[in-house]
Amino acid sequence: MRSREDSNELSITVNEFIAQAPRELELEVLAGREGLDSHRFTAPRIQKLGLALAGFTHYIHPGRLQIIGQSEIWYLEQLEAERRREVIGLLSLEQIACALVTKGLEPPPEFIEAAEQAQLPLLRTPLVSSTAINLVTDCLQEMLAPRVVLHGVLLDLYGLGVLLEGSSGIGKSECALDLITRGHRLVSDDVIEVRRISADRLAGSAPDLLREHLEIRGLGIINIRDLFGVSSISGARRIDLSIRLERWEAASDVDRLGIDMRVIEILGVSVPQVLIPVSPGRNLATLVETAVRVQLLRLRGYDAAQSFVQRHAELIKDNE
Amino acid sequence: MVERTVVITNRLGLHARAAALLVRTASRFQSLLRIERLDGSAAADAKSILSVLMLAASRGTELRLTADGADESVALEAISRLIADGFGEREQ
Repeated sequence: MRSREDSNELSITVNEFIAQAPRELELEVLAGREGLDSHRFTAPRIQKLGLALAGFTHYIHPGRLQIIGQSEIWYLEQLEAERRREVIGLLSLEQIACALVTKGLEPPPEFIEAAEQAQLPLLRTPLVSSTAINLVTDCLQEMLAPRVVLHGVLLDLYGLGVLLEGSSGIGKSECALDLITRGHRLVSDDVIEVRRISADRLAGSAPDLLREHLEIRGLGIINIRDLFGVSSISGARRIDLSIRLERWEAASDVDRLGIDMRVIEILGVSVPQVLIPVSPGRNLATLVETAVRVQLLRLRGYDAAQSFVQRHAELIKDNE
Repeated sequence: MVERTVVITNRLGLHARAAALLVRTASRFQSLLRIERLDGSAAADAKSILSVLMLAASRGTELRLTADGADESVALEAISRLIADGFGEREQ
């Protein structure tokens, strides 16, 4: 599930959700255990069953979690037994991914029975609807976020998430090691799991096995935390900047002025990119550090290259 | 060594982007390439962006290009064509 790259068909089973859901939810399964592995969430948003109980069932989105709160249960309870059965029948429970009863309430026995029959996982939490909805939405959003696996090194430099890219053997890991010895933090080496956490934000993290490790030719696999301490590693980080290392010959269209920001797209999110040509005698770590400082200033609204170009244009004008 | 005199024709002169294009073009050749203002106030190495910018050449400025090296005539031709074409900019 983790390596799935197709962003449109992401879904998770109810069981996977229960395993990852925050502990505060104290989820218990009231009915429909048979459906735990076959019923899937396809959207992070929830729905309240509300109007569907009154007969307006078109509006039920099958891939979402249905919340059953106090009002739904009161509504069902005040119906006569036969009408109640009828209303529950109209819901076509077998189409729904999962339902969650909040506030530790006791749903009518007819509902539990129907859920059991339809193999609809019926869950319960002691939390009130508003709190439960927040927790569930956050968790589902995280689990359903589009993801992709990238090749490179992800580091935290001065609080910016920096993705070092370049063909293999160009020295990404060596450069990362240099940066770590200067006090920057490693997120992941070689394999980076990237998730789109909102429309314009990407988060990158390390696969469990690789976390804290770096592979350096000649040294083999080293553990960064053991060697440099806990402050040298970082968990998931937002990706703010990409720095691409390229061999000098290949990088003929490198920006000499620094006024044309390159932009790359990852999962539909634009990420600024700096292209740094690599050749013997260039100190990559210093170049990367400086590129990040420049980007920090840019993010704060100051662009040295732009203002230089402006002053130059004025100089030419004066010369006319 | 070969040399030629050219005139900056584009409206904005040898501005930053144009200079970057010139430097990129010049860097493709092995020859030593120099640009001098005909009025003698500045001279530049065509492969160094900052020195080219320091020419501060506006429209109408006359420049002397010199090329020295194995590919001197091709290099001189490429640079002078770039300048004569106004760096490919469309004039308004």
